[in-house]
Order: sequence, then C-alpha cells, then structure tokens
Amino acid sequence: MKENVIIIGGGVAGLEAAKQLLMLGHRPIIVEQSDHLGGHVAQWHRLFPDMTPARELAARLIEDCREANIFLETTVQSINRLKDGYAVMLSNGVNILSRAVLIASGFKLFDATRKEEYGYGVYDHVITNKDLENWFSGADDVRIPKAPKAFGFVHCVGSRDVKAGNTQCSKVCCMTAIKQAMEVKEKFPDCQVYCFYMDLRLFGKKYEDFYLNAQREYGVHFIRGRVSEVSETIDGRVQVKAEDTLSGKPLKVQMDCLCLMAGMLCNSSAVSIADMIHVDVDTDGFLRSKDNIYSILESQRPGVFFAGACTGTKTVPETVAEARAAALSIHNYLSR
Amino acid sequence: MATPDLYSELLKDFRFREGLKACINCGTCTAICPAAEFYRYDPRKIVDTVQRADNDEIEALLKSETIWYCGECMSCMTRCPRGNAPGKVIMALRNLSIKLGYFTESERGRQVYPLTESLNRNILKYGYCIYPDTFVFEEHPESGPVWKWHLEHKEASYARMGANYKGKGPGALRDIAPEDLSELKAIFDVSGGTERMELVEELSRKKAEEMGMSMEEYRKFTFEHCSDVHFNSEAE
Amino acid sequence: MIYKGKQKIWSDYQKEIPDDHWYYARSCIRQNFFPASEKYFLKITRELLGKDICDNEHHTTCGGIAYHSDTIPQETAMSIVARQFALMTECGYENLVVSCITSFGNYVETIETWREYPELESKIRDILWQACRREFKVPKYVAHASDLIYKFRGQIAENAQYRLVNKDTGEPLRIVEHIGCHYAKMFPHKGMGGAEYPCVLSGMVESWGGQVIDYPERRHCCGYGFRQYHVKANRGYCVSNTHKKFESMEPFQPDAIITNCPGCPYFLDRWQYVIAEQTGKTYGRDGYGIPVLTYEELAGLVLGENPWDLGLQVHQVAVEPLLDKMGVEYDPSAKYLGLNKEDLLRPEMPQVLKCH
Repeated sequence: MKENVIIIGGGVAGLEAAKQLLMLGHRPIIVEQSDHLGGHVAQWHRLFPDMTPARELAARLIEDCREANIFLETTVQSINRLKDGYAVMLSNGVNILSRAVLIASGFKLFDATRKEEYGYGVYDHVITNKDLENWFSGADDVRIPKAPKAFGFVHCVGSRDVKAGNTQCSKVCCMTAIKQAMEVKEKFPDCQVYCFYMDLRLFGKKYEDFYLNAQREYGVHFIRGRVSEVSETIDGRVQVKAEDTLSGKPLKVQMDCLCLMAGMLCNSSAVSIADMIHVDVDTDGFLRSKDNIYSILESQRPGVFFAGACTGTKTVPETVAEARAAALSIHNYLSR
Repeated sequence: MATPDLYSELLKDFRFREGLKACINCGTCTAICPAAEFYRYDPRKIVDTVQRADNDEIEALLKSETIWYCGECMSCMTRCPRGNAPGKVIMALRNLSIKLGYFTESERGRQVYPLTESLNRNILKYGYCIYPDTFVFEEHPESGPVWKWHLEHKEASYARMGANYKGKGPGALRDIAPEDLSELKAIFDVSGGTERMELVEELSRKKAEEMGMSMEEYRKFTFEHCSDVHFNSEAE
Repeated sequence: MIYKGKQKIWSDYQKEIPDDHWYYARSCIRQNFFPASEKYFLKITRELLGKDICDNEHHTTCGGIAYHSDTIPQETAMSIVARQFALMTECGYENLVVSCITSFGNYVETIETWREYPELESKIRDILWQACRREFKVPKYVAHASDLIYKFRGQIAENAQYRLVNKDTGEPLRIVEHIGCHYAKMFPHKGMGGAEYPCVLSGMVESWGGQVIDYPERRHCCGYGFRQYHVKANRGYCVSNTHKKFESMEPFQPDAIITNCPGCPYFLDRWQYVIAEQTGKTYGRDGYGIPVLTYEELAGLVLGENPWDLGLQVHQVAVEPLLDKMGVEYDPSAKYLGLNKEDLLRPEMPQVLKCH
C-alpha cells in the first residue's frame, strides 16, 4: 500500500529523499515555499571539488522526482498530531495525512548587510559568494569590474561570530572561497586574488589538493587574518584592513572587488515548523536531533525525520547521503 | 614575598572579565588598532599571552612597555568576533601593574606619575581633569599661537566665549565650591583613589632616587623623555 | 557608495530620545577649549526649542579622562559617576544629557557593568554613601548632547539663517563628520546609527543642506589616546593618527569637519597646524587648513549666531573660508576683541598654515 510521506523542502535533501521513497514504494509529497525545486544548488554555478555543474545535478534530481506530488510556492500552515501520524494543513488549503514527516528545509544564507563593517549594500564593489555564483552563471553584476587587478575573498562572514549571532562554522565556505578564487583567476588571469581566513577548514575528499592547486597553479594569496573593516576610496575601490597574523603586521590593501563568504544559518521556516510539530531548536540554532552520533536524522518525535542542512551545515554529498538514509529510516518506520 | 597568582588577580577586575572571553587569534583588533601601526604593538598577542595564564609571561607583560601603548579608543571592542575587548584587558593589566608596583620598570609605565600628578590633582583642586590654570603652553606647544594668545588673555577671552571662568554659580569653568571638592576627596579616600595616588607617589619617589633625580626632575623627565625603542619603524 | 544601504542600517539603530527634562553634565575638554559650545547648546535647547535643561553648579568631571589614563581605579571612576547620578536624582531629573563623549561612554559603561554585576553597583552605592551621604537612581536615559541636536535638527533647519551650501555655486558644502570613539564603538546600540555608520552628525549636516563625505579612514580615532596625549613624550602617536585621517580625506576636498566629541575638534584642528609647520603640508585650499567645528558651533552658524560669540576665534585653523562659502556675515576686525570690544592684541601667525 502506498503511503503518504510529507517532505518539507524541495532542495537537494527533499528531492533525493523523494526519489528514494518513490523507489521504496511510497508516495512522497514535496512542499516547497519558493517557486522552484532544487534549492540553493539550482542557483549555484559549479560545485567543488570536481567543478560539477550545479544545475545539471539539480535537473537530474528534479527529473527523478517526476512522480512525486509537488506543491510549489506553498507553506505549511499547521501540523496536528494524530494518534499515529500527522495532519498537515498547507497554505493552498490542502490537508494531508501522513504517518511520517521529513523536514528537509535546508539553510538560508547569512544576510551580509548585517556585518555592517564590511559594507555590503553600502560600498559599490562588495558582493557575496551567491552574487559571484550568479555572475559565473551569466547574470550581469555592475559591482564586478570589467578588468579587476585585485580581488579579495573574506571568509567567515556571519560564521564563527558572536556579534553576528552565529558562533558556528559554516563549513563549506572555505572550499567555496578557494573554488571561486580559482574561477576568478581563470576569468582574470592578471588579477591578484586574496583569501582572508581565520582557519582553513578543508576536511573533505580532495579538498587539500584543491587548496594546493589554488596556491601552486593559480597563485591565490592566502592571508591568515580576519578582515576588520572595509571602506571605499575616492575612486570607488574597496579598502580592506586586516592583520597578517602570521607576520604580526596590520595590513591595508585596496581591492577592485571584495567577495564576502556569507555563512549558513538554519532556515527560519524550519524554526516555525519545529514549533508546529514540537521538535526543539538546538543551541547552535539548527534543529535538534535525537542524538548527534547515531540518530542525527531522527527527531525526538516519532515519525518526524530530518535530512540535510536543517540540522547543521552540510555539503552537497553529505546532504545526498543523509537524504537516502532518511528515506530508508522512514521506510523502516512505516513498515514496522 | 611569594609571587601572586597574576591571572587570578586579573580575574578580580570586572574589565578583565568583560574583556576576555576567549581569543581566537584572528587579528581583527590589531587590524584597526591606532597603536598597532605606530608602536611595536599587537593587541592580539597581548590577549593571547594573557589567556595562556602563565604567571611569568604575565609578570613580564606587567613590567613591559607594551601594555602602555594602547590609546583606549576601544575600536577593538566593536569588532571582535568573540566579544572580547582587548582595550579592557589592557586597562586591567595597567591597573594590576600599578597595584603591584611593576609600572616603574618601564619608561612608559613611569609616565603614570606625571599623569597622576596632572589629572588627579586637577580633579581634586578644580573638579575637572583639565583646567586653564594648570594648562601650561610650554608643555602644549601644539595648542598653537592662538591658544598662547588665549592663555595670555584668559579672563577676557573666556568672558568673550561666555564661560563663567572662576565665577560663582553654574557655567563652564566655574569655581567648584569647596564642599563639592571635599566630596570628591572623600570619594577618592573611600574608593581607593587616594591610596592609589599615594602608592604611585611612593614608588615613583623610590624610582626617582634610583635614577638620581629630584621629584620635579623625575616628573619632567618622565613627561618628556621618549627613547626610540617604542616605534614600529614601518609606520614611518 | 550606495546611500540606501546606509539608510537601512540607520533605521536599525534609531534610539528613542525623550523629548524634554534633562540634567546636563559638562565636559572637561569642551569647557576648556569650546566653552561657547556648551553655552550655545543650552541656548539652542532652552531658548529655541523651549526645553527644560538643568545646569547644576555642583556637578564635576565624571573622571573619564583619568579613568582612561589609568590614574584612578575603576571604583573611584564609578563613584564619581554615582555622585553625578545622585545630583541628578536630587534635582528631580531622570534623563542625563552629557557634553562629553568620554563621559557618555563612561556613564553607559558604568550602567552596563552594573547591569551585569549588581554586586558592583551595591559596592559603589556603599562607597558613595560613606563618602558623600548621597543616594541615587540610575538615569532612565543617557544621551549625548549631540543626540538632542540630532533629534531637533529639523527645527534648527526651519530656523536657519544660513545653509551648508556654497553661496556662489549653490552646491552643498562637503562635510566630513567625525564621531568620538566612545560614542558607539563600545556599545553600538547606544549610538544613533550604530558604530559603523553613525548618523548623529551626518543627519545634522544633511538637514542643514550639506553633503556628507565618507572617506576610508572615517572611523579611525582622531589620535587622542588619553595618556598618548597627556604625556608630551607620547604625542607622536596622536599626530600620526590625525595625519592618517587627513591624508585619507584630502582627495575628497572637504569644506569643513564636524565633530561630536570635545577632544576631536581640538586635536583635528591643532595637529593640522603642527603638520603644516613641520612638513609644509596644508589640507585646505591656498595654504589654509580644513576648519573643524563642534556640532554646537555649526548649529550656531546655521542659526545666524556671531562666529566670535561662538568662539571660532580660538581655532588655530581659520574658519573664515567656511564662513565665506556659507555667506555668513562677520566682522573680521572684531575677531580678537574682548566682550566689551577691548583690544586683546592678536595671536602670532604660524609660519606655514595660513590664517586670517
């Protein structure tokens, strides 16, 4: 018998879980608040470490979910606990009964304007990682000069920062910065590219090779120091102040463009859904798993499962793996 | 005398508790520090040294020139991603350096004496940290010929600007009544301000003797003398 | 520069300022170097705006300069602050308006520290009682005097005799705003506009017709540094930091600088003179410097006050280029006269820096 499984979020986690649940003989119903499937990845350009075109991945995931029920531009209005399952009321008036709910609501990017001293939204040539991906994908962006001579990347924007309200590491930005630094270097071979970092957290498969390549083949400069202040010169360039902590010297450098690596926060809709379904938000601002070693995909509520960045920052392959595992957990739960 | 546990001593200072949560050595403070470009000074390293809680290292710091370079503008406090305030850590270090008598070990530390002499005496005598009667042009040539002129015509010039210089009642530069000044003195006595001044005086006297100077010579020397060990040559 | 981006940040840091009934605390530095500014703050708030401002003769320094020069312990500084609070309480006021930025920071720091460590507040209450037999209420509201002028900048604009506009070209004057470090760097939410893009002065400038300049070293300290200035041997620190700011603002060709801290206008004015005499470099046009004004002085000029009543004659950098641009009428021959027109001679002229 085909059973409904509500999946909240149509990004990588939701799509992959839906695909697996279809194959396991269930009836996944994806509720997505935006107007498109594929989440952030559908709007990204290329993915590290193999420079995989992101849209191809998203398209494949969407294609594989053709048979799922999908509601776009739809939000969850309320969730009522039943004796064995949940009644989920959607904003389009549809009411769905389901024994299992998968929260795959993902992350939101830190609003870089809140890191005021970096001048995003104030200075003419300050952009974010997302803006740069859009530009790589072909979008126009007047903030990116035609022939920059110096291009900077600021790591940890809105991550590991008490003042910004997020003390967590966003995990993917170090690699994203290196990836984007190399891509900038490819576009502008004469441009000097700088990465300002506190720690380089390159933990994944081939990440160190990637870093080595950025240094050796691309000549990207890595400066160990957090950017303290950004300002604008009379000719519209970006002036950056940081300390080169390895030599113990304050630095003041001018860039033609500065890219802020905005970090990942738990999606605000995840928090409201958590509230509706009575699962907790953890001290890191993400949803609380049953435990963080063995049952990260399970909530403390029976029938409520997690996949992807709603429980913490994840890379794409980690998210895909979690989605598959969550589908299997749900299948086992429904077959018990 | 056994060496006190300096880290525990620092922890008694509220500014220290406020100023040092945990340093990540990112250099955000140093990047915008007005002292870091000018002096051989790196607030990050000071905070990092202190958080290691090594008694010998902290003692060396308390006796060093380094802790006296900060201008207490507190720009570091705005930016630290960990919510530290290196400027406040500095205030606690300076406080402890004076309390333990280490301040006379450094040229910049010895300046506590002329500072105390001018600022605290002004507070207790005139009710304000700065007062025209003790603002000597020769000690402030940068105040310019216009201020030289002003000081030469103090009464008339202040009257022109609407001040109530040495007058009764409210207003700028008014005479502060003796009963108000005696309240300030009482506050100094009860809160440790007077004790601090006496300590600074006593230890400075000892140092002056050691340096073969009278107290006035010592005041003038510490106020004016600047050796070239302090500067970050790259700032020039 | 994207102006809208700044406006968005400003809107996040709008603090509500009570409309009336303030207890005024004077400033060590402002009353020494800019006594007319304190006078005109009271004149504008009381006479033009009709506000009730208490100027009590018994109050004193807050001890902030000594505190930040590390010559008094924290308990002493806080007890002096507590006495100021007690005087305010006894006069029947709950809102404290402060002339000095160091004081403003000192009051806010004291209150915030007490909030976190109530045992310290009790200790200070004991000290104050023992020393002065006084008790106090913590102010409901602490404002810097520039906050009030900011709040009522529109009313000042309505009464303006002059605008910050070049009378010959009709172009807005280009004004650099310099915010005292302790206004918002320690507690960003206590400052109008926050720590990064404070609007307390830029709001005045724009209301009065001028154009605000944002230059790379805008947020950098003027170079005061407390002990770095009050000890003669250390003043290289001060001038090198001021120099850094002027080098950074120079390409923007500012017509004037406006400040809210009492120390900054003194330093930004006097170090221009020192830089000129030592290096030959001047930052205004034709050998002049860039005039540096307190916000009270600028408000006074806009309201048509006599520049010499405002004390602009004791600036080392001549203010006349600014007065001429604004079209302010003034009597050059009265610049150095006393209150009753008595002749006080004239200051010597610097070698390099051109003055009237």
